[in-house]
Amino acid sequence: MSSFRLLGFAALALRAAGPVQAQSRPDHGTIVITIGAEPTLPVPTLSSAKANVDVASLMFLPLARPGRKLVTADEKSFEPMLARSWNRRDSVTLAFDLDPRATWHDGVPVTSRDVVWSLNRARDSTAPLPYSLLLRDLATVTAEGPLRVVVTFRRAYAEQMFDAVFHAPPLPAHLLDTIPPARLATSAFVSRPVGNGPYRWVKFEPGRQAELAANPDFFLGPPKLDRVIFVIARAGDAQLNLILDGTADAYEAGLLPRQITPIVENPSLRILTQPSFGIGYLLFNHRAPGDRTKPHPILADPEVRRAIALGIDRQALVRAVFGPYASVIEGPFGSASWVRRIAPTIPGPNPELARKILAGRGWKDSDGDGYLDKEGMPLALRLSYPLSSLPRVSVAEPVQSMLRAIGVRIELNRLDGPVWNDRRNKSDFDIDISQTTMDPTPSGLVQSWTCAGIGPGGTNVGSTCNPRFDDALSRAIRASTDASGAWKTAIAALQADNPAVFLYSLAQVVVLHQRYRNVSVRADLPWSDLWRWSVDPSQQLARDRR
Amino acid sequence: MAAWLFRRLLQAAVTFLAVAAMLFVLMRAAPGDPLGRLTDDRPMTPAEQQRLKALFGLDQPIATQFTRFAAAAANGDFGVSIEYYPARVNTLIRSRLGASLLLGGAVLLVNLGLGIWLGVFQARRRGSAIDQWLTRLSLAGYAMPSFWLALVLVSLFAVEWRLLPAAQMTDPLLAPDAGLLTRSWDLLTHLVLPVVTLSVVTIAATMRYQRTAMLEVLRLDYVRAARARGLPESTVVWRHAWRNALFPILTLVGLMLPMLVSGSVFVESVFAWPGLGSLAAGAIATRDYPVLMATALLVSGAVLVSGVLADLGSYALDPRTRNR
Repeated sequence: MSSFRLLGFAALALRAAGPVQAQSRPDHGTIVITIGAEPTLPVPTLSSAKANVDVASLMFLPLARPGRKLVTADEKSFEPMLARSWNRRDSVTLAFDLDPRATWHDGVPVTSRDVVWSLNRARDSTAPLPYSLLLRDLATVTAEGPLRVVVTFRRAYAEQMFDAVFHAPPLPAHLLDTIPPARLATSAFVSRPVGNGPYRWVKFEPGRQAELAANPDFFLGPPKLDRVIFVIARAGDAQLNLILDGTADAYEAGLLPRQITPIVENPSLRILTQPSFGIGYLLFNHRAPGDRTKPHPILADPEVRRAIALGIDRQALVRAVFGPYASVIEGPFGSASWVRRIAPTIPGPNPELARKILAGRGWKDSDGDGYLDKEGMPLALRLSYPLSSLPRVSVAEPVQSMLRAIGVRIELNRLDGPVWNDRRNKSDFDIDISQTTMDPTPSGLVQSWTCAGIGPGGTNVGSTCNPRFDDALSRAIRASTDASGAWKTAIAALQADNPAVFLYSLAQVVVLHQRYRNVSVRADLPWSDLWRWSVDPSQQLARDRR
Repeated sequence: MAAWLFRRLLQAAVTFLAVAAMLFVLMRAAPGDPLGRLTDDRPMTPAEQQRLKALFGLDQPIATQFTRFAAAAANGDFGVSIEYYPARVNTLIRSRLGASLLLGGAVLLVNLGLGIWLGVFQARRRGSAIDQWLTRLSLAGYAMPSFWLALVLVSLFAVEWRLLPAAQMTDPLLAPDAGLLTRSWDLLTHLVLPVVTLSVVTIAATMRYQRTAMLEVLRLDYVRAARARGLPESTVVWRHAWRNALFPILTLVGLMLPMLVSGSVFVESVFAWPGLGSLAAGAIATRDYPVLMATALLVSGAVLVSGVLADLGSYALDPRTRNR
């Protein structure tokens, strides 16, 4: 055996060494998770960055959360968390009874004062993030004794429960009520947050890791994973390598088939895939690039948009690029969204019909170069996307190739991330490959797909405006009975206008070590159920026994 | 000497100021909105934009911004990071500097130690098969993209053979009460792959410089005279010849010293090394002006200081330079 290999074994032995204590609970353990960014603000309502939200979800509980099917419009399907029960007093009033066993990590009981203070703080329009917008339908939040909170709404609608519990999980009022809203992000609390969830904060080493420890007094039952360590690695390759070399036990990512192969070949790892809220689509700009006062010279015509949509074989594209790790979507909602189940199916590809539609609109190949033109204007469009996004880079060329077949010239506009974002926000594009993670609620469509979302601050950067859809969406959001039917009508109205070519919803892929048992991963907050996980006693590693 | 040093320092200070002003303007001229990250890349309302611009002082004319920046930087304050808001840039730099110094220092040590020895070795065996092979190998390393080599090394030594860790600077599971020996060993194992990667791609320059300088010196009369006096070959080579073949290396060291703080963007990224290189890479990707300015100034400061130190070294070692 070479001396180098001996050195390696010595290194492994030392890596496994350390103060190993006798473990009396054989199903307990540790989990090391790799994440791509630093959890610098792991406090609800202070940041919506994924790393912060993932870490915060282990320390702060909501009053309740949508059940496993993530239906946001059915309050009966919600699971109790800090609130052990709730009841509807009338069409605009919900009362929550808090679990008397719930305490903050400093031992102080969680009370109605915390909930009232937190929701009112989040609704405060001077707070840095626009929670006031998300919570705009809450009229009052009041306490009735130490363990009951009553929320009233401005109007009757199906997602009242979701709005009341999802956006702003309670924070400890006894520690924060003297801090002005604008100073909360810079307060000492952020560097040592005190939560009420299954895990408490231990430490954060910038650039390296954040560590949480099990809260033995967690009122829903002490976690069996005693330590959760988030290791920071920005690059996707580094994250993958940390899993493959055994440093990390788990990570969550949207992966392409070629990245999956080494994981599949590793017998100590397993892959969980499930629907997600992430979506990718080709967004048409209805207005002239960079000038919202003029219509787009090509894409303002709904028939041209329809022809382009018919020219793209979405099933073939998604299968070729993502294999089994994505599915085709029928609208701007992820595969985990409950409205996906009721959405009408968009007609399949039909290049022949696409060419006929374009010919009918006057687009002809007058110079025989294979691309169409009209009155001297070529049917040429820029397809913009950020270079840093592997899924988008992967779909760009197939889209270009499919549209070439119907005579549309696509110029690939690969951009640096911030430049792409800047241009997108200024509507300076023809077609944008957009990718985003949607909220569990379909109500979020208002911001990006209605006439109200156009203009400064609005997220409708494609300037799509279809009053029929706006009206149908408004009805769907307000529906307190037959919400499904109303949503189906709204989605059909959106599809008919072809504001985008809805392409894919990447599967949520979670890679984890084989030794974990009772594993459950949620599409909205993947690690929030870690406290229910355990370790197979026969597969415990040295790290589990510490 | 004092006048020369004063002139040299003044020159460095003027260059530093010019670089700072240029970086400041160019950074802001580059397309891309640094504030987009704070709203999760969604468009902002004019009021929101104004509030965030005011928060980071971006609502002021560029001249005012630069004056304020320069005044604060002169007091060692680089402001607040945009990406890591509300963290201060100084805190971020402090938390990353140690990792960069360690990686850069280790690479310099290997590069200079091994590169000089191999350069001298090659010069003594000029034209031999081993000289030719070492030249080929070092140039192959020089031509290799560092990120590619890093991925290959990780794939073999960390993933395939599990001999070394794939990434990060320490084992995340290292017990807080682990002994010094365990901690040092852990650090060493994490250092190996990034150091080997960076050394392989940079060592060729040291070897080539040293080889050429030694060849120049070895044919001089005083070396022949030393041999004629019957001195042992190692004494002739290392005490007589090598000392005079050191000047080109001194210049090279001056060029390499900034590596101590700059790290390597690609290698730090592949190995998730928590140094200034990865911090700067993130700042470039997000247009985090304050972090970008601080890291860029740190590197340009290191370049200028290294230049002055290299000149001082030559001044001290080579009397001929004193009259220039």
